[in-house]
Amino acid sequence: MNPFLAVAILVCTAGLLFVLPLLPALVELRRKSDALPLSVVQQNAGEIRHFANSFRDYIKDLEPIMQVCVAAGTSATGTLPDGEEYLVLGRLDEPLMRALAQRDATHPVVIAAGADLIAPPHSTFSRDIYAGGNFQGGEKNNYRAILGEKDVRLGASSRVMRWAHAVGEFTADLGCGLFGRISSDSLIRLHANCSFLRLNAPRIEVGHAVNREQGLPDSGFPSNAGVLPRFLHDGDFEVHAGQIIRSNMVIRGRLLLCSGARVCGSVKSLDDMVLEDDVSVEGSLIGARKLSIGPHCTIRGPVIAERELAIAAGTRCGAREHPTTVSAPSIEVEEGVLVFGTLWARERGLVVASP
Amino acid sequence: MIYVLYSIVFVICVYTGRHYWFTLNRLFGFQRHPYIDIDTADWPPVTVLVAAHNEEKVIANILDALMTVKYPVDKMLVIPVNDRSTDRTREIVDKFVEDFPGRIQPFHRVGGKGGKAAALKDAMELVTTEVILIFDADYLPGTGLIKQLVAPFFDLEVGGVMGRVVPMNVGANLLTRLLDLERSGGYQVDQQARMNLRLVPQHGGTVAGVRLSALREIGGWNENSLTEDTDLTYRLLLNGWKTVYQNRSECYEEVPEVWPVRIRQIMRWAKGHNQAMATYGFRLLLGKHRATLRERIDGTLLLGVYAMAPITLVGWALALAVFYQGVAPLHGVIAVLSLTAYAALGNLAAFFEIAAAARLDGTRKRVALLPFLILGFAVSIFSVSRAAVSQLSDLVTGAEFHWDKTERFRKVL
Repeated sequence: MNPFLAVAILVCTAGLLFVLPLLPALVELRRKSDALPLSVVQQNAGEIRHFANSFRDYIKDLEPIMQVCVAAGTSATGTLPDGEEYLVLGRLDEPLMRALAQRDATHPVVIAAGADLIAPPHSTFSRDIYAGGNFQGGEKNNYRAILGEKDVRLGASSRVMRWAHAVGEFTADLGCGLFGRISSDSLIRLHANCSFLRLNAPRIEVGHAVNREQGLPDSGFPSNAGVLPRFLHDGDFEVHAGQIIRSNMVIRGRLLLCSGARVCGSVKSLDDMVLEDDVSVEGSLIGARKLSIGPHCTIRGPVIAERELAIAAGTRCGAREHPTTVSAPSIEVEEGVLVFGTLWARERGLVVASP
Repeated sequence: MIYVLYSIVFVICVYTGRHYWFTLNRLFGFQRHPYIDIDTADWPPVTVLVAAHNEEKVIANILDALMTVKYPVDKMLVIPVNDRSTDRTREIVDKFVEDFPGRIQPFHRVGGKGGKAAALKDAMELVTTEVILIFDADYLPGTGLIKQLVAPFFDLEVGGVMGRVVPMNVGANLLTRLLDLERSGGYQVDQQARMNLRLVPQHGGTVAGVRLSALREIGGWNENSLTEDTDLTYRLLLNGWKTVYQNRSECYEEVPEVWPVRIRQIMRWAKGHNQAMATYGFRLLLGKHRATLRERIDGTLLLGVYAMAPITLVGWALALAVFYQGVAPLHGVIAVLSLTAYAALGNLAAFFEIAAAARLDGTRKRVALLPFLILGFAVSIFSVSRAAVSQLSDLVTGAEFHWDKTERFRKVL
């Protein structure tokens, strides 16, 4: 072969091999098919009521139809602008709902009720439900989403797959599964064996009604003391029974707060943390591993556990005037716990019967 | 000479292993986002400092955005730190002060030392709240960002908070697209892996927060530092405070659109980082303080990131020199295996990290631009090495550091 040609072929082949992996890059650079800024949640900001608010907007056009149906005590069907079928109920109409639920699996429709609504038991509602009045669900029902303008009550062993919002009280009877966002503008009440993920309401009652709205007992520490000093300790630590700590605590080890102990600031532990009964913390409570809160404790600030959190009966987190967040990947809450604000189990939350 | 080369190869292998460790952790490890769920709380008062030096192109956007965030109005005060601006920055800020009475308190600085740290230090006389957030003027915070950045301060171990920076002008040209990929790797993988592994997430000085009592404890802003964020990270660490990273607290920024601006930016970062390494490196690794062993090691490696560019160049030169001297450091199969292993793993470590970041971000086609990163790498290695040489020469001649402001590309409003 001609040496010049051989060199030319070698150079061309090498050049081709060099350019080949760049071809997709050159195409993308020219086409700019994926050149928009990364989508960042700028507006809804993780707002728990986002889906409920969007659904309310979505069915806004049905309002005149609902008013007509309520006035006439009739029902109506039709199609929303996006092609979804709807059923509007103007009165409590259990037989119609039952018939609908039976065919729902193959022909789901959005249900909007202008008045109170009762869902028959053992039913699956695979499209969103709107109740202009109270909503009462039967046992062992499956819902996609519920928006109730008054109270919402789920029958035992029911499931909500995406979200539910009640302007009034939201109640889940025994053994309900609440997957997704559950919110209420006044109160959420969960009974034993309910599972949950994200709950938000001014007041969340777990199990039997509890009434511990009184504030923390006076620590004798001036409220205008400014920023508290930080007590930093390497290794395990124990706060003795009845002891009052007037500082923030950061413990790089295990922490035990014995019965009746009182911390006027916030508490952080880098290992397991145990609060015995009747402990109170005026600030936040942050555990880098397991956090166990005993009975009748009072925590004012956010409660965060990076692994597991257990809360015993009679404990109160937050206050009506100081709502807070209780969060962990896995949470077990005994009946009798009261939370003001958000209760958020990232992976698994469970209400267990109090002993 | 051969032992110097061995040492350089060893250090490069350590950084390669670190890239893989971080990437695999992000892909398969336990992810820590402990504070992101705090959406309801008795929110503390917060001061938002907006550093601005000749920012007429962008200052109105960030002030607009800050006026619409979801945070109790009576608990948030915005202080635009107008640092000796000679353009319309002052006029724009004053208009906002008029439009939003009681919510913005301007700090117009007309003299004093240059640089962001010096400006922030002077602005501290207006700050009374325990929680301080800092933004550069070209950032656009979303409505939920302030709460997300404040939430970690409920943890009393936290002295500093860093959010994620997301380029806004991605599609402008090749440079912005490469910077988008680099940022993705740096935040989505590097920073979050450090958070997961309880190492040393770095304070970035913007989309960030600091606790006032911690700042006072460590002596305030260091106006002699070229990168006040790196300086802050290490002083907090040495004094028993943690910096945490919030990967989901995202904020748009504008990245440089022309190479000279990018080169000046990275040279300043390199000088600042090297300055921090000289100041804190030895003390961090061997001194008596509260950092854990893993924080000491990771912190030292992080400090050495920008020193790796000149070290790599020296390594290349040494390898050539050794070759032409006729020395064969490795023989036969070992040499082949080493070369193959490095070609298969070592060269790919940084690319693997960025590809994993793109995957985690859910992006699809932008990862195709990965081969072009070699261009960014080449520019960086020479710019950073030049910065190191210039820094050494400044040390000898006693010349002072010069602060280069990053040029903005947005249109004036």
